[in-house]
Amino acid sequence: MERLDPRIRLLWVVAALVRTAVFGGVVVGAAFYLQTTTLLADFHSLLLWGAVALAIVLVVGRTVVAWLRYRVWRFEVQDDTLYIERGVFTRIKTVVPFVRVQHVDSRRSPLERAVGLATVVVYTAGSRSADVAIPGLTPTRAEDLREQLRRLAIESGGEDAV
Amino acid sequence: MNRLHPLSAVTNALQRGGIGLSVPFFVSTLASVFEFVDVGWALVLAPVGFVLGAAYGVAYYYRFAYELTADTFDVASGVLSRRTREIPYRRIQNVDVEQGVVYRLLGIAVVNVETAGGGDTEAVLDFVGESEAKRLQRAIRQRTAESAGSRRAPSTTAGDDQPAGWIADSTAVEQTTGDAEPTEHRPTLLFELAPRELLLYSLASFRPAAAAGVLFLAFFASGPILDALVATARPFGGPAAFESGSIRSYAILTALSLAQAIVATYLLGAVYTFFAYYGFRLGRAGEDLVYERGLLQNYSGSIPLEKVQSVTITDNPLQRAIGYAGLWVETAGYGPDSGSGSQSAVPLARAGRIYRFAERFSGLEKPTFERPTTVARRRYLGRYAIVAGAVVAAAFVVSLVTPIERWYLAAIVFLAVPPAAHLRWANLGYAVADEHVVIRSGFWRRRTTVVPYYRIQTISTRRSIFQRRLGLASLVVDTASSRTFARSDPTIYDVDLEVAREVHDASRERLQSALRDRTSSDDGGVSVAFT
Repeated sequence: MERLDPRIRLLWVVAALVRTAVFGGVVVGAAFYLQTTTLLADFHSLLLWGAVALAIVLVVGRTVVAWLRYRVWRFEVQDDTLYIERGVFTRIKTVVPFVRVQHVDSRRSPLERAVGLATVVVYTAGSRSADVAIPGLTPTRAEDLREQLRRLAIESGGEDAV
Repeated sequence: MNRLHPLSAVTNALQRGGIGLSVPFFVSTLASVFEFVDVGWALVLAPVGFVLGAAYGVAYYYRFAYELTADTFDVASGVLSRRTREIPYRRIQNVDVEQGVVYRLLGIAVVNVETAGGGDTEAVLDFVGESEAKRLQRAIRQRTAESAGSRRAPSTTAGDDQPAGWIADSTAVEQTTGDAEPTEHRPTLLFELAPRELLLYSLASFRPAAAAGVLFLAFFASGPILDALVATARPFGGPAAFESGSIRSYAILTALSLAQAIVATYLLGAVYTFFAYYGFRLGRAGEDLVYERGLLQNYSGSIPLEKVQSVTITDNPLQRAIGYAGLWVETAGYGPDSGSGSQSAVPLARAGRIYRFAERFSGLEKPTFERPTTVARRRYLGRYAIVAGAVVAAAFVVSLVTPIERWYLAAIVFLAVPPAAHLRWANLGYAVADEHVVIRSGFWRRRTTVVPYYRIQTISTRRSIFQRRLGLASLVVDTASSRTFARSDPTIYDVDLEVAREVHDASRERLQSALRDRTSSDDGGVSVAFT
């Protein structure tokens, strides 16, 4: 079983912090704005502290989740399938047979380029798990994996999925 | 290259001319807000807009062309920016012909050509002559079959000029792919919805979507409808007039109006179903299923058997009570009214007949369903108890801000928790057969889905925190389909972890072996007979 590059934790934590900062900013800002009005005057300080507490809980929670996600994430290129394990709360183990691979992408977002990582996306014709993304790969590993998957998908041949 | 029906040039010109006509008025109304444009200009510009719009409409007609080539269906369209599409026949999922009332009077029809993927219909011919639509449907179907056949085994085919009559023989067909005969392009009748069944289907199907129609009606006739609602509630203690009343009388009015809205939704849904499925018949033409239905709006379409992803048997509590069920087939394209690739093969028939058809259709031996353990039931008990608790909490919050007092009466919803949990559990089932996995779930709309192993795209085992604590897992078996929000993937819910692992591995192995079998033999293995 292959694990992701540890640097992905940094990426996920930064992404989680940015998201919660935006959300927490909105909530706390709304609580502050409420203080200038007379609406729900009795609960003003309670609401403000509640909003701050919510923001802190979210920041801590999402950081922990981002950290745990790295510990759970695993994948393996098996004989005829790509096997993936992920999910902190709901644990998902997915099998993608090579016969079903439609096409494979490797991509790097600006943030990923800054950290030196890449993502490989595997597309199938299915509905929900139509695109399976493997994040946190070094660029060379991503290229290798993409080539490997492409080769295996062609070798497995098979008829059309749809 | 063929053009659309000449009449479409006229309607196109009128339609776009109308838009051109209205644009100057629209702009001048907007501009008059700022008071720097005289409205008189609109009167001068409107005819110019009409002429321009009409010219565009006519140009659109002349620039729209389609053609059946040897291996693609080509559509070229667009006046200013041109778009040329070549759709390979073997990529076509289904071909539907749609006819409204006016279209039928004029003898014209809309042809929709569906492919897998993408967000909408691949090619729309709006509109062509009725006979041309029939010809196109038949020709495309035949060429799709040919291209599929040539990949497996060479097959002979007949011309596409046969009469469109249906052979009314329900006993015959046991054809397998490959042995093409001249008669195979005339549909053989497999199923016809009898008037009795149509009536039952209309009355025994619930369409929550019909609520939109009721709201639409209420929006346009709000005055009289409101009066009628108040009048019917009055004898039961409703308010004497809408403006005056006590909280109690308003509560009675609300409850009665809600009940009436539900009844209206049900009736509207029944009427819609009656008109939409009037004269339904299903046939087989070569390697395709073909169907026809509709009283005012007429639909006819073809579903290539080769493209069928899975087969689903649906029933609701009422249909189960009278021993009836429906059969749906799923393809990866879009269906005419469901918004997904799911199409009704048999709207409603005796459950036994449906199961026999499904068995013949998919080569399925009678499945023996296995059920998740009672631990799953405990899980639903917990889940629904949480929902009930939330309802009570909501009632408490409401009682804080409104004069309503006895919020604890809401605890009565806890009574519904055990039966709900049991029914949810009792309707779950799965069967792992040699060539298929069969999955059943749902109480209000129970779905029994038959997924052939060779159609599986991905397999996932999912375990939430609660499931991990109880040692359960859910298995999602994904097939190819267009993306929709309404449809959920076939899922075996809440089985023991060990069982989930076994089914997971078995499905995975059988997918591989089924694919090997299919490439080595040239037989599609699909045969349909209706008994």
